[in-house]
Amino acid sequence: MNKIFKIFRKKIYFDQYLFISIATLSIMGLLFLYSASQENLETVIKQSFFVIFGLFLMFLLSQLDPDFYKNNASIFFLISIFLILITLLYGKEVNGAKRWLDLGFFTLQSSEIVKIALPVFLAAYLYDKPLPISLLHTFLTLVIILIIVNLVRIQPDLGTSLVILLAGLYILFLAGLSWKFIGISFSIFILSLPFIWNNFLEPFQRQRVLTLLDPNADPYGSGWNITQSKIAIGSGGIQGKGYGEGTQAHLDFLPETETDFIFSVVAEEFGFIGVCVLLITFFFIMLRCLYLALNARDRFCRLTIGGLSLLFISTVFINLAMVVGIIPVVGMPLPFVSKGGSSLLSFYIAFGIIISMATHKKLMQK
Amino acid sequence: MINLNERFTEKKNFFNRLLIIYVFFGFLFFLFLYRTFALQVSSYADYELASIKNKTKEILIQPRRGIIYDRNGEIIVNNVPSYNLITRPSEIENIESHIEEIKAFIDISDDDVLHAKENYKRSAKLNRELTLKNNLTLEEIAKFEVRRHKFPTTFIDERYSRFTPYPELFSHSVGYVGNLDEDNLIQILAEQNLKPKETIFVYSNGYIKGMTGLENIYDKTLRGVYGKKLYEVDASGKLLNEIEITPSINGKDLYTSLDIESQKVAFEQLNKRRGAVVAVDIDTGAIVTYLSSPSFPLNRIANGMSSKDFNKILNDGNKPFFDRAGQGRYSPASTIKPAIGLYGIENEIIDWDFTINDPGFFVLPEDNRVYRGWKKGGHGEINLKEAIIESSNTFFFSLAYESDIEELIDHLSYFGFGRNVCLDCFLPDKGLLPNPEWKMNTLNFGWFKGDTVNLGVGQGYLSATPLQLAYYSAFLAKKGELSKFSFVQEDIDAPLNTFVSKNINDYDWEKIHESMIGVIDNPKGTAGRLRDLKDFTVAAKSGTVELVSTETKEDYKIIRETEGKRDHAIIIAFGPMPNPKYAVSVVIENGESGGSVAGPVAIEILNSLLKNE
Repeated sequence: MNKIFKIFRKKIYFDQYLFISIATLSIMGLLFLYSASQENLETVIKQSFFVIFGLFLMFLLSQLDPDFYKNNASIFFLISIFLILITLLYGKEVNGAKRWLDLGFFTLQSSEIVKIALPVFLAAYLYDKPLPISLLHTFLTLVIILIIVNLVRIQPDLGTSLVILLAGLYILFLAGLSWKFIGISFSIFILSLPFIWNNFLEPFQRQRVLTLLDPNADPYGSGWNITQSKIAIGSGGIQGKGYGEGTQAHLDFLPETETDFIFSVVAEEFGFIGVCVLLITFFFIMLRCLYLALNARDRFCRLTIGGLSLLFISTVFINLAMVVGIIPVVGMPLPFVSKGGSSLLSFYIAFGIIISMATHKKLMQK
Repeated sequence: MINLNERFTEKKNFFNRLLIIYVFFGFLFFLFLYRTFALQVSSYADYELASIKNKTKEILIQPRRGIIYDRNGEIIVNNVPSYNLITRPSEIENIESHIEEIKAFIDISDDDVLHAKENYKRSAKLNRELTLKNNLTLEEIAKFEVRRHKFPTTFIDERYSRFTPYPELFSHSVGYVGNLDEDNLIQILAEQNLKPKETIFVYSNGYIKGMTGLENIYDKTLRGVYGKKLYEVDASGKLLNEIEITPSINGKDLYTSLDIESQKVAFEQLNKRRGAVVAVDIDTGAIVTYLSSPSFPLNRIANGMSSKDFNKILNDGNKPFFDRAGQGRYSPASTIKPAIGLYGIENEIIDWDFTINDPGFFVLPEDNRVYRGWKKGGHGEINLKEAIIESSNTFFFSLAYESDIEELIDHLSYFGFGRNVCLDCFLPDKGLLPNPEWKMNTLNFGWFKGDTVNLGVGQGYLSATPLQLAYYSAFLAKKGELSKFSFVQEDIDAPLNTFVSKNINDYDWEKIHESMIGVIDNPKGTAGRLRDLKDFTVAAKSGTVELVSTETKEDYKIIRETEGKRDHAIIIAFGPMPNPKYAVSVVIENGESGGSVAGPVAIEILNSLLKNE
């Protein structure tokens, strides 16, 4: 029996640390979601389906060789751009935002696909470029990133476009962007902040930023979400109010408990202890990805693992910073915990790719 | 393609760069942990409080007002239930059709329908009740009850109204309740450290407050203490479940000294004529009868009446809202004479043997102006006792002429003139005790000797309320030692007013009583007609207030064609003699004769009070 298992282990590509921690996170997520959705079993069952499917998909994608991703990166990327364009034309409009493609059985959030496809494509594009990356490649990369970011931004989906921008920049940075370029462009960015503020942000986005600076100035308007979220987290104390006992969550004071603010529900019901357990799980995944990136077989794998893991970590921190009021509310799920379809699956896909990159060694090295 | 050497540099470069980002995120991780720690541990208490405040809502519970009793424990004002049709909008889908269905058998006014429609959505959202109709009749209750199974969301509930079984007897003494305005509410609740909030009402009228009379003076006692209910609410403010209840404390009942029976007698006796009756227990200063006539319907004022009916009362020429007993100013006329006589004794201007010859008039030496008495040819040789019995004007004109105005004013103020004589009356008037300074300031004229002479017979500027006249009467009865008046004696230590004198002793008081008994019992007394109305002895002094000064009886006959110009009838009385218990004052506007018009009212009051001891 043991032997069969060992043979099986040799035939498959699997990282038990990531798999177990992600599965644990997903199961905790289902538990949290049951409470956050006001004990809505239907929501939890639907989410469970996504979790099971996601884990299966992750396992499946990790079996593919990194070369498969490298060779097909541009095809995936083009498909994802196509989906974005289709969404802009024929997307389902909800609350003034066109982010979803109705596929009948599933509403696809196309920006979640391009979020994964872009870093993989950029890694495939940059992995063989000499160091430091030449100005031409730097510009080409930046143009690609900015086109994609803007396509998502005009949906509008500020949160996802921000993450895509970050993911693209991580790859560029990790691939060896020259420090000189970084220094100059950073200075330009700082100087152009007022310009961006006036021309690129929608009034409601500006309001969100302003609210962040002084949430108490307007407790029942735009600051309501942040104020209520802080009350939920703060009133959880060390031990929390108990599972299903969160009054902020259950009496509708907290907005978006199933998605953006699910962390506040966890903090309210499980207290600081619960927060630590959740954060340590995320931190563990983060460290495991660092280890895997450092031990990847080639530059393409390194870049891909680095980019995708940083994409994941950024999403986590943007969500957390948002719910405790460090940054404005941008609409960002907590990976593997928040309710979601496309956004949830996109991270299983990302980790499937990460595991594939990490576990496939070159024959020569074996 | 890059070579091996470059690959090594690339790998090192990648490690460094990834580490930089990881260090940044590691830093963020701890920053975040710290931030959460700050919220959940350091500021826990603040946020816990905020979360509790978020999910709870306090609703006030209105207390029930105290009941007002008369001196025999009979209820004067009570809380009686009325029945209201109430619905739970959160369980109704279409309020309009719901109302239509009910309207088929219970008439709901357009105003009520409008109110229900306007408040339906809000009440439904917040899980509150909605009143469809107040004060259902018995018939309407019956009509609803037989159909009740059809309306599971609607029910009839009890709400109270302030109600007196004697709607016109106590309108001015007890007064009425009315609705509170916002400022009043804030102030009342602040006394209990509460803030205005939603309230569960006990009264149909919502927040109520004593507006006049005892309801106003004892509002705080009667009001009670608001209770509160703590509910769990959701973010939209919808009530979920009751967490805690602090019951309201009903107001304290008020035990007054008012006497329903004598009040009834006063009401019947005045028979809607303009006037007032005040009677007191002289030993305690307790007001037992307090009537201003005509009166107004207390229940309807307190519980709502149409503005048309209200305006009818408001514009009534007889001014029913005006409290004649406590605020009406009348010249005391001849009733002042015993007090002037006492002034003469006190200042040794006269004694009981002193006589003058009354030719029927008095000539003021300064300007030869003639001041007439009521009897042509006068009363002849006359002393103080006879002057009181026969009500000689000349005697008191000349006595006043001899007096010092400042001393006379001091003297009169002992008897309650120009002072507030009541501890718990609603806005009592002080009347007017004139003095030279007042005249100069108000009328811009100096004080004439003639003003003093007029004061001697209670005419001129001097005026007093029936309440003050009752005080004056009681002060005479108690021989110069009297408690301040009050409606409620519990908890009140009424201050004793004592007459300070050098020369007046018990003998003088007895003589005054004797003289005032003579007013009725002496064949020459001005109120002789009252002799047969009673079987006990009464001391009295009548007065007739001239509204228009006339020289002859013929002149007055012309004057009296206009009712409003006729003399006012006044009497003060106390009895039973020789040990008086009650003092009374009666004023009947344009009643003409103090003795024969106001007198019988006073006697009937005393009869009633003594019979019901």
